[in-house]
Amino acid sequence: MGNRPMNELNIEATQSTPSVSADWDSGVMHIAGDSFPENSFEFFAGVIDWIERYLASSGRPLHLDLRLMYMNTSSVKAMMDIFDLLEDAHRDGRAVEVIWHHDPANERVADLAGEFREDCTFPFGIEKDGV
Amino acid sequence: MNAIDLFELRGQFSRRNILLCFNGPISHGLIEELGNALRNYLTAEQLQPSAVMDVFGVYIELTQNIRHYCRVRGYEDSDAAATVVVARDDDGGYAVQAGNMVERGDGEALLARIEQLAAKDKAELKTAYKEQLRRPRDEDAISGAGLGLIDVARKSSRPLAATLSDLGGERVFFSVRAVI
Repeated sequence: MGNRPMNELNIEATQSTPSVSADWDSGVMHIAGDSFPENSFEFFAGVIDWIERYLASSGRPLHLDLRLMYMNTSSVKAMMDIFDLLEDAHRDGRAVEVIWHHDPANERVADLAGEFREDCTFPFGIEKDGV
Repeated sequence: MNAIDLFELRGQFSRRNILLCFNGPISHGLIEELGNALRNYLTAEQLQPSAVMDVFGVYIELTQNIRHYCRVRGYEDSDAAATVVVARDDDGGYAVQAGNMVERGDGEALLARIEQLAAKDKAELKTAYKEQLRRPRDEDAISGAGLGLIDVARKSSRPLAATLSDLGGERVFFSVRAVI
């Protein structure tokens, strides 16, 4: 496991960026919090890079566990790029899955997740927390 | 110069139900801090979490659009200023108004864009949003305001309204109002 440090991804949340943690061995990535940086493209570049490398390096499944809340439009655009990567992998027969958790009191998050799901054919769950 | 009558100013804020008001050069940090305050005020007013998020979202898109525009046009800090007001509307909604100085041609294009968006219903706005989302980044409209303005229009309960005010030179003051 000499290349391990490169495969670790841990970003702490700030007021305007979500926390990100990804585990190479289990193929699970968590993203949680609000996302409204000025340069979303730059923020998500590391996330996209990790997913691309993970998908290219083995045939193992990828599980994206999301607790994203508010997202500005440039974050939405970056997230669409991520889902496009997953969609391509899925079409190639790869096991990929997204679960998007949200506070049941905030239906807007479910609306946001639902609009993304409309354009995806891979398993995409939207789950209320604590229900 | 006469002292500013704070009592009178306060009266105006109260009468117009203004929750938040800002005028001057705006940084990302300031947008975050004012945004935090806005979320707290709205939550304290017993607004539903989804409605808090809608008002907050409109505030973020409009202020980030201004920052983006000033960066693209290379404005000096003193010119990269924003005027932002969030107020409770008479009908129980919330109005977010944001304005900034722009080049006259850009202002006219923005005004036309907003009139286009104001004429669309929710379904048409969703289609426009998804189309814009798929467009390459560098084609993202005149001021990068493409997706953001559609998002604001989608979150609004009434058509967007915008005005241009003459500043007597090459630049004009552009102002947009969204009611959520």
